[in-house]
Parts: sequence; structure tokens; C-alpha cells
Amino acid sequence: MSFFARFAQNRGALIGLIILLLIIVMAILAPLLFPESPWRMVQRPFLPPLSQDGYLLGTDTMGRNVAAGLMHGAWVSLLIGLVSTSVALLIGVPLGAIAGYYGGLIDDVLMRFTEFFQTIPNFALAIVLVAIMQPSITSIVLAIALVSWPPVARLVRAEFMSLRHREYVEAARLVGQTNSTIILRQILPNTLSPIIVLASLMVATAILLESALSFLGLGDPNVMSWGYMIGAARTVIRQAWWLSFFPGVAILLTVLALNLVGEGLDDALNPKLSRER
Amino acid sequence: MVYARLILMRLFKAVIVLFLIVIFNFLLIQLAPGDPAAILAGEAGAADQEFLNQLRERFGLDQPMYVQLWRYVSGIAMLDFGYSYRLGVPVFDLIMDRLPATLLLTGTAFVLSLVLGIVAGSMAAARVKKPSGSLIMALALVFYATPLFWVALMSVVVFSVYLGWLPAYGLYTVGAGHTGFALVLDVATHLILPATTLALFFMAIYTRMTRTSMLDAAQQDFVKTARAKGLKPSVIQRRHILRNALLPIITLAGLQAGQMVGGAILTETVFAWPGIGRLMFEALQQRDYNLLLGIFFFSAALVIVFNILTDLVYRLADPRIKGAS
Amino acid sequence: MRTPLALAISAAALAFSSAALADDPKQGGTVNTIIQPEPPGLVLGMVQNAPTRTVAGNIYEGLLRYTTDLEPMPQLAESWDVSDDGRTYTFHLREDVTWHDGEPFTADDVVFSADVFHRELNPSARAVLQHVESIEATDDHTVVFTLTDPFGPFLISFEAGTFTMVPEHLYADTDFRNNEHNDHPIGTGPFKFANWERGTVIELVKNDDYYEDGLPYLDGVNWHIIPDGGSRAVAFENGTIDVLPSGTVENFDIPRLSAMDNVCMTEEGHEYFSPFAMLWMNNREGPTADKRFRQAVMYAMDREFAKDVLWNGLGNVPLSAFGSNARFQHDGLEPYDHNPERARELLAEMDYNGEEITILPLPYGETWTRWAEAVQQNLREVGINVSTQATDVGGWNQRLGDWDYDLAFTYLYQYGDPALGISRTYLSDNIAKGSPWNNVEGYENERVDELFNEAATAFPDEEREALYSEVQEILHEDVPVGWLMELGFPTLFRCDVQNLVTSGVGVNDGFKDAWLDR
Repeated sequence: MSFFARFAQNRGALIGLIILLLIIVMAILAPLLFPESPWRMVQRPFLPPLSQDGYLLGTDTMGRNVAAGLMHGAWVSLLIGLVSTSVALLIGVPLGAIAGYYGGLIDDVLMRFTEFFQTIPNFALAIVLVAIMQPSITSIVLAIALVSWPPVARLVRAEFMSLRHREYVEAARLVGQTNSTIILRQILPNTLSPIIVLASLMVATAILLESALSFLGLGDPNVMSWGYMIGAARTVIRQAWWLSFFPGVAILLTVLALNLVGEGLDDALNPKLSRER
Repeated sequence: MVYARLILMRLFKAVIVLFLIVIFNFLLIQLAPGDPAAILAGEAGAADQEFLNQLRERFGLDQPMYVQLWRYVSGIAMLDFGYSYRLGVPVFDLIMDRLPATLLLTGTAFVLSLVLGIVAGSMAAARVKKPSGSLIMALALVFYATPLFWVALMSVVVFSVYLGWLPAYGLYTVGAGHTGFALVLDVATHLILPATTLALFFMAIYTRMTRTSMLDAAQQDFVKTARAKGLKPSVIQRRHILRNALLPIITLAGLQAGQMVGGAILTETVFAWPGIGRLMFEALQQRDYNLLLGIFFFSAALVIVFNILTDLVYRLADPRIKGAS
Repeated sequence: MRTPLALAISAAALAFSSAALADDPKQGGTVNTIIQPEPPGLVLGMVQNAPTRTVAGNIYEGLLRYTTDLEPMPQLAESWDVSDDGRTYTFHLREDVTWHDGEPFTADDVVFSADVFHRELNPSARAVLQHVESIEATDDHTVVFTLTDPFGPFLISFEAGTFTMVPEHLYADTDFRNNEHNDHPIGTGPFKFANWERGTVIELVKNDDYYEDGLPYLDGVNWHIIPDGGSRAVAFENGTIDVLPSGTVENFDIPRLSAMDNVCMTEEGHEYFSPFAMLWMNNREGPTADKRFRQAVMYAMDREFAKDVLWNGLGNVPLSAFGSNARFQHDGLEPYDHNPERARELLAEMDYNGEEITILPLPYGETWTRWAEAVQQNLREVGINVSTQATDVGGWNQRLGDWDYDLAFTYLYQYGDPALGISRTYLSDNIAKGSPWNNVEGYENERVDELFNEAATAFPDEEREALYSEVQEILHEDVPVGWLMELGFPTLFRCDVQNLVTSGVGVNDGFKDAWLDR
């Protein structure tokens, strides 16, 4: 069975993929449909949804178009999710690979280091990091990456430990391949499927984290992200439900979609494990 | 005996990790812009240089950084956490004041999410191909994907404002002067909303985890053997599958329990719960370094304690793992 | 523009004052209110921030109180005389006052508080005390202040928050900051400190031995500590909280809360502070160093929009450097209206090259964040390349203290007299790194220095008026800072809380006369 056929067997995953594609399309179309800055105050504040032509989702506390913010925000939220996950992978994968491949003292040191990061409560550390670097899209991405790499390292290490004594690895060693070649060419490709599955979930978590930081007032004030929109709308949640409702739903759908896709990938990439699930 | 040695080893390691965390956090915080003296002076709405100097000298901020670090670390070694710059109260007292509230909140949320998560997860596992099973999983996924603070806000609006059933904020009714059982009841009603909100997210995780590991366990040989022996499915489900499926859940729960303190920051803020998470956020904003470092120390200590406890429980639950390993 | 809300307030204020006259005060009851943020301590003079003033102003007292027109009223001093040359002030103290621990309050306490305690600890009092040559107790209940010059605003400096009276018998010859009584403040006020549950509540109880007959009416005041603005609004809505002091809920909640049944609102009680929102503009470097750029910023901003949308139509768009509650306001100046065209012309005239500048919002809640967003958008629309620099309170203080900013939001209290609240922003000898409250913009103008210094000690008032008019004309042209708004900070309360705001500092000393009609 082909990869996609296996993926598509999971109906949830298919739905997730469709939602995700829609959101990506939204992000791409944003500058075309709403060429003006989403920060522009264009109408009376607090217009409810559907009450006026051209303002499908209403306007916010300052008369800015919610629909424009939502579409531009899709781009920002996805970007934050993807970039911070990539950075986390860049930290976690090498650390985990080295620890798992070499074992012994190196493994011990690297794993203590990882544990050390896990001992400081995650969200608290993210808050402190953003506060110290002062909120900006870079500091937020970095902070999210710095608190989310330990699970990657642990996963990769576990995979490497179970694979490093496989026959094909031993064979590569016998023909004189260097350690780095073995790590990169032989083992790493075989650990990709669980990493991809984990990564898809991490993107979702990163989007949630960003929104939580924004909620506490630690968002980047120059970019319109969904987290920012909820954070800005929370003080008016009682008089203007739509301001936090739509970005809330957008986050919910994106996170949901990413999780469904993650499960689908898991089914498709690890068919043996997930049989009969 | 083996346990005792194991625990001692773990505790010894824990002390080293804590020591490193203290130093790491201390250095991290030095990077933050602004110092507590500037903030206190700023809050006063009027400040001259004399005022700032007085404050800096009082807090020891006029000393070189290594002196400050040495003072702090040697203080910690004597279990002296110093004074809060802003509140002028010993950090230890402040934390002890707030810790019970956080433990009550996270403890309740933890038990609630674990119990409900395992029940929902095993129900879903037993109904794997049925609509009801899918429904449970869909709900779990929705809870998982919904921002925590959003649920918190909405539940206040619904249950506290519109319905008026539950108090919206705080640990108890101020000024009611409840004692004894009335006080317990009062705190319990205040606990419902924050604990449920905090529990929902973690419950979603445990539900998914339980279902997955139960389905995994169902594939194992001993289950097939049990089936072959003709045991009732419900007995197999409970005695064999669930028991084995619990192990990974315990591991995860142990990790999560420590993290809950951090996760409680949002809940404590929305519900004005006088806990340690909120104290931490305020300390950070005020650059109240002593207080912030103290809280970091305690929450890291909590994580470590939970990890050790998890290990012990794990060993009790799974006799195959020997203490010596 | 007057919004319906602003009209509703005047109506409510009217209804409120007539109701207060109608009934005889009732004794008893406890009022629940909010303090935000949690104060660092409650000893006035040692701590001067807003929440401390608000709570402790009901525990401690000053020699005088001030009406909402900023006229002095007797408090601990029952009368006072001023010499003809404006240099000698004699205060006659009440003889029946005792501290909360039973000790009598005497002239020695006044001398100790002013000459020792505040000189050492309190920067705002120090600014006044530099005009004081000597303070003497001529008998147990008379104190004479001799000034070095006829300092105009002297009589308005005795408000409890600025110049509180502290007990000599507990503080003399101690390390003030580590004094054991700091945890249990002892004042002379209508309420006594009872309990402080950190993070939850500060409880004050009635002072049964208070010297004014029949006062206070209330049995106590509970100051609840609720960190989240939304939760504070809910607490008021569901009836837990009776009084929301100004600034304790987000502006966006105010129209909804004030429209509720049995909720009254007043804009009075802030005259002493008259918070004035300003935009620091760095006069030292970058485009903001050019006067034309600063004028362009003034023309680019739509201040009426900010007032209507962000401040519910409350408050007042200022003409220039002197607010409407400040004395000696020059009202003949040409206003800086919203005029993007004029702003673009000025920018073209100075050949603004599109250099990027940053804006630093005030990290004090959502309204300020939104305001910075609106100003940023206003500036972008006239072609200024501007981005926002997010920060928290620590970062904000540091950047302003280090002069590391282009544009920055702030607000300053005016303290009833230009010599106390306004000149400090423009005097060149007030340029010093490290404080966000002095001449942060770095404006230097010798003539302005001269005029402000002369006006502070000119006598009588007509002299001062002439000097202040000239200074306003210069400032208006130079635009050292942007003048955003005189903020309207309304207090919300249940209508059955009677007689709450009786002075120019509002709830800061208002619970003394308040009573519950329940």
C-alpha cells in the first residue's frame, strides 16, 4: 500500500489535512485579499460579525478588520509554529543522536543536560526567556524552541540506542564508514518517521504556547498573530465575543488538524505499530 | 535496602542539579533589562539618584556580580533565600504562604485529570471501532487543542457571571469569616472552576495515552493467552490490559505533575488564585530576583521530588524492574 | 465630542451628590474594594506608589486635605497662618489626636516626620523641603515652617500621600526601612490596619477612638487583590466588590459596568493628581531631535479618536503643556489638531529620510497597548517609519532611564501646581540618567529654565501667571514632548455607597466620610 493510501485510510487524518491546507491557503491569500495592513483602523470599533458589508467577522476594539487580522495571523502563527519546531529539532536531534549513538559518558552528560532543562518548569522558563529578551517574534520563537527540544532529544536517543546494534549498522562499521556517516546516512533516515510525527505535534504545541505568551502580554506587538488577537480581546470578551472567538477557533482548528495529521502520519509511517488501532 | 540506596543516590544527584539550576537561573536573570531598584523607584512616581542609590545599596545590587552570586549561593546552602525586594518579607515565608494554594489546585487537577483520563481512555479503548469511542477521542482532542486560558475565561463567563453558580475568583470568600467545615466547603466551591479548567487539558492527554497503551497491551502475548483461557473480556480488560497499560501513564504523569506548577500560572492569573505561579509572574515583572529565584528553586525541587516518586511507583507497579538496574 | 457615557457620568454624579444630602448617614457595614497592583508596603513616605497611597491614605493623615478644587481643608492642622512675605507658615494642630497605639500626636511628630523621616526617605517631599529653611515646634501643638523663598505651591504639598505624618515615638533613632512597625502601620487616620493576607486581601478596621465625632461610619474596608482585570470586573458585577477605584478595570469594561443597575460613577477625586498622558520624544538624536518632526507627530496623532475609543470619551485633549487642572493655564494657544496634511508638509520640509524610529508603549495594561498601536498607525499614515518595541515594566524603566528610545508613552501627575508637577519635565537641571520621571526627553532651553525658576517663587500669583504664560508659548512651539491627554480616571461604585469622594484625592482618603445606605 502506498504511503498516501495508508494515510488516507485514517479518515480523521484526511480531514485534518484538508483543514491544514485550507489554513495554508488562507495564509497565502491574505496579502491578496487584504493588501492593507491588518493594523489599519478602517471602521467603527466593535462592529459585530455580518453587520456590515465587507466586514464579515466584524471589527475589533480599534475598528480594525477582524477577517484581515485572522488571515494575516494564519501566516504568523504557522510561521512561529514551524520555525520554532525547526529550531527545536536542530537542537534536539543532534544531541539525541550523539547521546544515543555513543552511549557511555557522553550519553550521561548529554542526558543530565537534557534533564536539567526538563527540571525547570517549561512554561515558566518560556516566560522568563521572553521577558529577558523582550518580546519580539525572534525571542518568542527562541523561547519556544528552547523549552521544547528535550522530548526530541529523548526520542532520538531512544531510537538510536535501539538501532545502533542492528546488523546494517554493524555492517557499515565493518566496511569502515566513519561515525558521522553512519549517524547521518544509516541511522538517522530510519528514525525520521517518529521524528516527523513528533514534529507535527510540536508545531501544534508551539502555536498554543505562543497564544499563551501573548495572553500574558508577552507577544510581539508588530505582528498580528492569533495569540495576540485573543490576548488583546480578552479584556472585552464580555462585550465582543467574536474578537476572541474567531482566533480561538482558528487556533483550535489548526492544533486539531496538526494532531490529526500527526496521527495519520504515525499510521502511515509506522504501519506495524499502529495496525488495528 | 536497595530502595534506600537508590533514593539516596537520587537525592544526591538532585542536590547537584538544584545547585546548577540556582546558578543558571541567577545568571539568566542578570540578563534581564532593568533592576528592582529602578522599578520600585519608577512605581513611586518620583525618584532622585539618592533614592535609587539607597535602594541598590540596601539590596546589595551595588556589589559586583560574582559577589552577589556568591552571597546568594552561600545563602541557599544555609537554606536562606533572602528577602523579597519589593515586599520586604523573607522569600521562604512568602513561598510557604503560597505553596499550599498551588498544591491544592494542582493536586486536585492532577488527580481529577488522571482518574477521568484513565476512565475515559479505557472506555474508548473498549469501544475502539464504535461511534461512542470515537466521540470520546474527538472530545479529548478538542480539549487538548483548546487554549487553556480561553476555557478559563469562558467558564468564568458562563458559570460565574451568567449562571452565578460558582465564585469567579479567589481561594475563599473574603470577609465571610468561615471556619471549620464551612471553610472547607467554601474553599471547595472556589476550587471547582480553576481545578476543572486546569484538569481538562491534562485529562485529554491521559485519555489519549491510556487508549493507546491499552490497545498496545491488548496485542501482547499474555493477553492472547488470557483470552485463550476463556477469561471474561471485562476481566481481561481490567486485570491484564489496564494494569500493563498503566506503566507508561505513570511515567508521563510523573513528568506532568512537576510541570503543572508552571502550567498553573495562567489558571492562577485568571482565577486570582493566590498560588506560587502567579507569585512567580509578578516577581518576574517586578525584577524581584530573590523571590523569583526562590520560586524557581522550589518548583525545580518539586519536579525532582515527583520524578523520584514516579520511579518508586513505577517499581512498585512493575515488579519486573529490579531496584539494582 | 461628548459621548453618551460622559453625559451619563455627569448625570450620575449629580444624582449621587443630591442623594448624599438627602439622608442621615448610617453607621456600620464593611466596604469591599480593590487594590491593584498589590502594594509593596503600607508605610507612606517610605513607599509612595499609587496603591500604597490609596490604601494607606486611610490609615495615615497629613496636616491638610484638599477639596476637589484643590483648596486646603483642615485635617491634623485645624488652622494655619501665612506671613505677608509668603515665607513663614504657622500650623495650629488639633489637640485631641492620638496615634492608633494610644500615644498623643504632637508638634514633635510633625517636626520629626518632615525634617528627619521624609528628608531621608521621600524624594517628592525632598523637592518641597529644599525650599524650607527650618521647622520648629513652638509648643506642643504649633509648628512653624520658615522658607528660604516664597515657594508658591507650599500650601498644596501637605496631602497625606506626599507628606504623611509618622509617629516619632516608634521611628525616631531606628533603621526606618527595617523598623518592626512597618508590618503594622500606626497612623492617626479613621481606619486601623488589621490584616494583610498577601495576594488576597488587606483589611482595615474602624478606628473607634478617631477624633472627628461620629466618624468613620464604616466598620471596615477590605482591599481585595485580584491580579486579572477581567476577574476584577466580574467581582464587581457579581456584587462581591462595592467600589472600583479608578484604573482597576480596563477602560473597555467601564461602559458595561457603569450601565448596570445601582452602579454610580464619578470622575471627581483625581484633581490633585490630574494624570497627564505624554509622549516622550528624544530631543537628543534621530529625527525626533528636529522640532519640525515633533510638531509633525502632534499633527499626525488623532487624539480625539484615542479619547473617544480608548478612554470612553472621558478626559480632555490638552492644548499644550499645562493641563486644565493645573493653575495658570494659557488658553490662547493654537491647538495641534489632527492634521495629517500639515504633518506631511513638515516632514517634507525637514527632508525626513524614512529613518526607522521605535515607539515604547507604557506596560500598564491593554488600553495603553492599544493606544500605542493607534499612534503607530497614525504615524505610519503620514509616512513615518515606526515600529513598536514591546517591553515590561523593568525594560520600560531601563530604556527611559538610559535615554534609549525614540518615542515613549508615559503619564505624570500634576500635583496641583506647575512648580510641583509640570516644570520637572522641562527644566534642564532635571536631566539625569536613571529615572523615568525627570526631564527624560533632554530638552534644554535657558529661557524656559529662567521662567520656571522665577515663577516657582514669584509672589503674588499675578507675577507667576505672566511668567507661566510666556513659558507655555515657548513650549508650545518647541514641543519637547507630545501632549496626549489629561486622563479621566473614573471611580465606579454601588450607588448605596454614599459620600465616597469628598476630596481631590478621591478614595485615597475617602472612606473617612463614606457610609453605606443598606
